[in-house]
Amino acid sequence: MGPLIPNGIITGDWNFVIAILLGVAFGFILEASGFSSSRNIVGVFYGYNFVVLRVFFTALIVTMVGLMYFDYFGWLNLSQIFILPTFWQPMLVGGIVMGFGFIMGGFCPGTSFTAIAIGKIDALLFTVGLYVGIGIFSLAFPLFADFYNSGNLGNITVTDLTGIDASWLALAFTFIALAAFWITMLIEKKIRKKITDYKF
Amino acid sequence: MNRNYIILTFLMLALAVGTLFLHLQKDTKQIQPEALLWDVLQPTRYVTTDQVAKRLIEKDPSLMLIDVRPAAEYTQFTLPGALNVPLDSLYTSAALANFGIPGAKVVLFANDAIAADEAWVILRRLNFKNNYVMKGGLNGWVETIIRPVAPAETAPETAFEQYNFRKAASMYFTGAKMDVNKDQKAKVVFKKRKKTVVASGGC
Amino acid sequence: MHVHDLNPKKTLWAVIIFVVLIIVGFITMKRPTMTYEQSVKQSVQMLSDTSAYYFYPYQLVEVLNHQNKDVVLIDIRNKYEFGQGHIPGAKSIPSFDLAKKENLNMLENYKQKKIRVVLYANNQLEATGAWFFFRQVGFENISVLLGGYDFYAAHQKDLEATYYDQNVYLKGVPRYDFAKVAKSAVTEAGTTQTTTKPVVFKRRKKATVAAGGC
Repeated sequence: MGPLIPNGIITGDWNFVIAILLGVAFGFILEASGFSSSRNIVGVFYGYNFVVLRVFFTALIVTMVGLMYFDYFGWLNLSQIFILPTFWQPMLVGGIVMGFGFIMGGFCPGTSFTAIAIGKIDALLFTVGLYVGIGIFSLAFPLFADFYNSGNLGNITVTDLTGIDASWLALAFTFIALAAFWITMLIEKKIRKKITDYKF
Repeated sequence: MNRNYIILTFLMLALAVGTLFLHLQKDTKQIQPEALLWDVLQPTRYVTTDQVAKRLIEKDPSLMLIDVRPAAEYTQFTLPGALNVPLDSLYTSAALANFGIPGAKVVLFANDAIAADEAWVILRRLNFKNNYVMKGGLNGWVETIIRPVAPAETAPETAFEQYNFRKAASMYFTGAKMDVNKDQKAKVVFKKRKKTVVASGGC
Repeated sequence: MHVHDLNPKKTLWAVIIFVVLIIVGFITMKRPTMTYEQSVKQSVQMLSDTSAYYFYPYQLVEVLNHQNKDVVLIDIRNKYEFGQGHIPGAKSIPSFDLAKKENLNMLENYKQKKIRVVLYANNQLEATGAWFFFRQVGFENISVLLGGYDFYAAHQKDLEATYYDQNVYLKGVPRYDFAKVAKSAVTEAGTTQTTTKPVVFKRRKKATVAAGGC
């Protein structure tokens, strides 16, 4: 956690406390955004509800731009932020698999747990399936081990890959996100007119 | 349309445009100029030829010699075990991979200390630590180690000790003495520098 | 329920907090007194052409005779050494005071007026670090005196003559044929030279980090 643990201000044991606090906050926001409802979530794919896209894009652009300002102020060091290594082939395939699961199940892993918290049976079944899937994957892992580790590009960012300045990428992404908000709002309006028996 | 949305859209766009003017550090590995100047002014980076000779004779496995002269001069002559990183190709990822190895003490040298010192400044700017500069360079190496000068009769005891060491070192380095340790070279295995593993969550 | 009805109060608070954070950041920010004007790559390239930035001892003659008023000499040795003897007309700025605001302003001032600043210490090496640093932070009017004060003190009388004898103070050149020197000692001793194998260092590699997410 940030500058506190490496500098010895608090011990590494606090990691768990901080993780729980962050987890509570994350779950709270998911639930508050209405993500415990699978209708809300899959609405993106049917075109009647784009709240998922809006919430995540808003979080994304605000964080992205905010972090750049924080880095500039010297409050945090962007160069020391952990970047997940990119394994391009397995990530592509994993994304496709997750997309299918997303539409069929109506949840992503995080939201399924918040939905359980408010007592949804479908979410409970979803998580059972989640663990079964994890179990099958783990047992069959030797079969995909090579593929799983293929295409490693290291801990790269788009800036590293293309050489385009991070601020320009942020601006482009903000622009795309804002455009998406307005366009999806129009799509939503059109489609909702056709849906009459739709209620949350 | 909600008026608030329009305001928020423009606010977000303005903030994103603002990042263009922030001059984010492109190469964030560099240390701050003030810190660099402070380090540059410290004479602690210099090591003497005697210190280097002693460690070479002891076969100190943590010693790593880097010759910053051009490759042509390197192939003519270099110190035992030295690697070649010409100064003009210092800023390449292949060259920089030689630095920052945990536990290694890197001694830079050239014909004299100037080029090595300049390489040191570049490395320090890139935040590499444990680099040293051999004072006097190879010219000094010849003058002190290979062809030591006998101290005057009135010189203190330590000067004679140093002279004796240098004479012995000269024999050692020029091969005047049989090299008994030829096959006993300590195999040096450095641990790779590890990145700290950070647990990360997502979704 | 309309999903896109914003709660005006909450939105206002979120926006205010975000904007205030950024304003506070701008106000409390520490501005560095110096920034790198040269990239690392440029600095390395610059080094291959150092002769353009050197100040040769024979060039001192013009400065000492007040013929060249566009050169300022700066002595970066400590006050004691400066008091013991220095090049006439040189300013004393002990190296540890170089980062002081007034001295940086002075250098900046010289830069604006296109006055050449020559740093010197007892020898070239002592001034090299400071010279190279100031080059990197954008003072391209800074040079380093070859040979340093020691050379000047030894050749005070015949500075102009040193023009023909640059090898005495020029650094970076081999003064010996190293391969020959190493061999000659061998033949004197009458034994064969043993070639020492280079120590094999493993280069550090980027570690792949297994990490989970989601």
